[in-house]
Amino acid sequence: MAQSAEHVLDHLELFRGPEYQQMLAKKKIFENSRDPVEVERIKEWTKTAEYREKNFAREALTVNPAKACQPLGAVFASVGFEGTLPFVHGSQGCVAYYRSHLSRHFKEPSSCVSSSMTEDAAVFGGLNNMIDGLANCYSMYKPKMIAVSTTCMAEVIGDDLNAFIKTSKEKGSVPAEFDVPFAHTPAFVGSHVTGYDNALKGILEHFWDGKAGTAPKLERKPNGAINIIGGFDGYTVGNLREIKRILALMGIQHTILADNSEVFDTPTDGEFRMYDGGTTLEDAANAVHAKATISMQQWCTEKTLPFVAEHGQDVVSFNYPVGLSATDDFIMALSRISGKEIPEQLARERGRLVDAIADSSAHVHGKKFAIYGDPDLCYGLAAFLLELGAEPTHVLSTNGNKAWQEKMQLLLASSPFGKGCQAYPGRDLWHMRSLLFTEPVDFLVGNTYGKYLERDTGTPLIRIGFPIFDRHHHHRSPLWGYQGGLNVLVKILDKIFDEIDRKTNVLGKTDYSFDIIR
Amino acid sequence: MSSLAATVQKIFDEPGCPTNGSKSEAERKQGCTKQLQPGSAAGGCAFDGAKVALQPFTDVAHLVHGPIACEGNSWDSRSAASSGSDLWRTAFTTDLSETDIVFGGEKRLCKAIKEIMDKCDPPAIFVYQTCIPAMIGDDINAVCKAASQRFERPVIPINSPGFVGSKNLGNKLAGEALLDYVIGTQEPDYTTPYDINLIGEYNVSGELWQVKPLLDELGIRILSCISGDGKYREVASSHRARAAMLVCSKSMINVARKMEQRYGIPFFEGAFYGIRDTSEALRQLARLLVERGAPTDLLARTDAVIVREEARAWAAIEPYRQRLKGKKALLITGGVKSWSVVASLQEAGLELVGTSVKKSTSEDKQRIKELMGQDANMIEEMTPREMYNIFKDAKADIMLSGGKSQFVALKAAMPWLDINQERCHAYMGYVGMVKLVEEIDKSLSSPIWVQLRRPAPWEALAKAMQQMQSAAAASACEPALTETARRAREICVCNTVDLGTIEDAICAHGLRSVAAVREHTNAVGGCCQRRIEEILASKPSAMRQAAE
Repeated sequence: MAQSAEHVLDHLELFRGPEYQQMLAKKKIFENSRDPVEVERIKEWTKTAEYREKNFAREALTVNPAKACQPLGAVFASVGFEGTLPFVHGSQGCVAYYRSHLSRHFKEPSSCVSSSMTEDAAVFGGLNNMIDGLANCYSMYKPKMIAVSTTCMAEVIGDDLNAFIKTSKEKGSVPAEFDVPFAHTPAFVGSHVTGYDNALKGILEHFWDGKAGTAPKLERKPNGAINIIGGFDGYTVGNLREIKRILALMGIQHTILADNSEVFDTPTDGEFRMYDGGTTLEDAANAVHAKATISMQQWCTEKTLPFVAEHGQDVVSFNYPVGLSATDDFIMALSRISGKEIPEQLARERGRLVDAIADSSAHVHGKKFAIYGDPDLCYGLAAFLLELGAEPTHVLSTNGNKAWQEKMQLLLASSPFGKGCQAYPGRDLWHMRSLLFTEPVDFLVGNTYGKYLERDTGTPLIRIGFPIFDRHHHHRSPLWGYQGGLNVLVKILDKIFDEIDRKTNVLGKTDYSFDIIR
Repeated sequence: MSSLAATVQKIFDEPGCPTNGSKSEAERKQGCTKQLQPGSAAGGCAFDGAKVALQPFTDVAHLVHGPIACEGNSWDSRSAASSGSDLWRTAFTTDLSETDIVFGGEKRLCKAIKEIMDKCDPPAIFVYQTCIPAMIGDDINAVCKAASQRFERPVIPINSPGFVGSKNLGNKLAGEALLDYVIGTQEPDYTTPYDINLIGEYNVSGELWQVKPLLDELGIRILSCISGDGKYREVASSHRARAAMLVCSKSMINVARKMEQRYGIPFFEGAFYGIRDTSEALRQLARLLVERGAPTDLLARTDAVIVREEARAWAAIEPYRQRLKGKKALLITGGVKSWSVVASLQEAGLELVGTSVKKSTSEDKQRIKELMGQDANMIEEMTPREMYNIFKDAKADIMLSGGKSQFVALKAAMPWLDINQERCHAYMGYVGMVKLVEEIDKSLSSPIWVQLRRPAPWEALAKAMQQMQSAAAASACEPALTETARRAREICVCNTVDLGTIEDAICAHGLRSVAAVREHTNAVGGCCQRRIEEILASKPSAMRQAAE
């Protein structure tokens, strides 16, 4: 046996041993497998334009979707408030998914509970689960607020969150004045960015509009502060910290709404922080008085932003601003709204990004990229690539809609480098596979799932997106701000140079280009 | 050290050097390198010169005798491509320490040579002298001689410590070492009437390989290339070549001239940079070979290849002419390249506003004048600040230079292209010239330059505000201006729709609701809903009625 107690091999090596290889080969005999020639033929056929046409004619089946469900976004937004426990009304299995998803990406514990609905609850309604659930989690986890969202199960049977929460309070699950904002977040509508939007709107509505009829509505007394909404973002830790740094540099009074930058990056010092940081409930309520609210991601706040605007605030939205021009626009908006000057420090940071672009853009210039991910991230990255003279040939967003497509096409049309580039809303990674085979590009930008496409099509993957499961800690560095632009540039360049090295590293064959200086 | 001093003196008195020939006796004694000016920025030392000149010999172990400084900083800094051995890239150094300097480093050098022989068994070892062992009196010539006998393998001393002078002097001292110890020590397996040497060609980024297929096609054999992609055995038997081409005259003229003197190998100075020059070089090679007895049909065959290749290259460059027309380029490089690429760049539509002549010979300068006219802007010495000013005054659109000037050009936000030894692209021969034009076009068309030259948007805004304030009075009598400014206000930030567009839509169609505005304009009506409502409220109903 290759495996022994003295020297335990893990799967990377173990199954390469002769006895396993033999076993697998013998097993093949009984598998009634297809003629390998035929398999090869079909495999090649799936790379053709003919197959692509059939692939794009697909109507019912989604293969390898690049999106997640609403409640994931709701949980993500909810943990951004002080001492808040996300409570998902529905089946517990779904909730386990959100927790593992967030944990695997952020390498942090992720706290979230469910009302554990079972078959009888699905038949008779989930009221009892809500009553017991709120009571249990309130007493066990001592939250300051419980933010309720839903899974499909509760939505299909039509559970009324407002009424359920009210009843629960009457039954004494939680004190009457305890904050339990809620949002309906069915997975069969939209995606995780929609869930983020709904949950955040639910929480703001709760504080601003009279706590579901239990308190008077807040009367807005405008002040000079600015609210910032980050949107669903795998880089929330780095990005929100960067935004706070910029706001502090400019001396702008601000509230970050749903600030989950602490809870997804707690220190290891012997203490488990189930809750950490976050927008205080007081700040969340007072945010109504702000002068303006800035959303960093338009498609993550399609409902929240109009809701804020209805309360009389100025609202501005961006599309995941990455790079020079986008950051310029963001900083200018901050300055315009707050009336504050842009400090020399930021001008210097800008100059450094400009310098870095000048030093290295020759390597990015003219390269073709395929991008997939959430609508705003796709937009922001495509804009930055255009700025660098690269061509975002395919921009695909499973959760992008028609309006997104139109806006993307406008962006692509605004630059000579966007010529021939195409935005694909509602498409999945199997579509992307066809695109990569029939119209090859130099690099693919996407989340961890892109590694299958990388292996399949040989297109090198630059990991930017959510989730990133197989690389650690990238969420700690910002992609926003001038410093963030630099980080994105470095990510792209690293892959470009790795690729040059990879193509020239055959000993005794391509040594002539395996250079020290690039 | 007296023999080194004598060698240096001999190099200075190079009869093949026209500059030297035109000097008076007294001037000649002073030598030809400019005295370095303490306190001013300077280029590399003689050691560096020797190292870069010889390092492209690929199967040789290059052992640097000195403290870590010399090899530590120069290890593998040039991408001279090798078709075979990778040994040249391995950094060998004696890494002298304090005790070695007190007690002498010769023993350590001996051991190092033995260890290389044991480990790598190379056809030869080149031992590079550096300042420190030269100062403490390590006799590397003696060590190498003893080692050669002991291992029955050539161990060649390259006596070019940094302090003797410039990098260029080091190039030449390296050449002297080849002449003294290497060239003529072996015999080739066979010879042909078509054997040539290339001298001072370093195969940077593999560019020699862009020309070699043409030579192969003509049946011309590169017996030895000194030193790009060279092998020890080739250079050792290079004295049997029928003709030679001196590619970089500045670095290796002594080698070419002495080989002519000793072995009767005629040489000419030429370049494979630029289309016309490549053709000229091929013709010259053919002519020299025929003069030395090669069959005369070589001439006609050469001409046929030239006609074919030139046509191909010009056709490939043609599409760029319109795009590059009138663009001004500044050439900061040395030696041959100061003129050899000029013709082709001009042919591609570029205007040359200046070329540096710091490392160029008077012949080089003469050629520049022929190409660029009598009043060609020849830049003898250019400080980074001057360079910066040339760009700032927009006298040039692009700079072609080595890596050291790169960052100055970029600080001035100027397109820049690397044409020196650290570049990633090969520009030699016909295909190389097309590649160069392609790269220039690419650099000029990058979108980043506009972005780079633009000041931070808030600076532009501040300036505009200032103008607005000073022009406040003026704008009173310019109501159109104020109106334009008012209508330019962005209402829908998401889809960039301004006030004017929305007002026009309201007036044209008599719109009354946000939904209607959304239908007639690109406005999203989401976050801008309230602003649109305000506009709807403030629009005089009379205007709408008029529209109806």
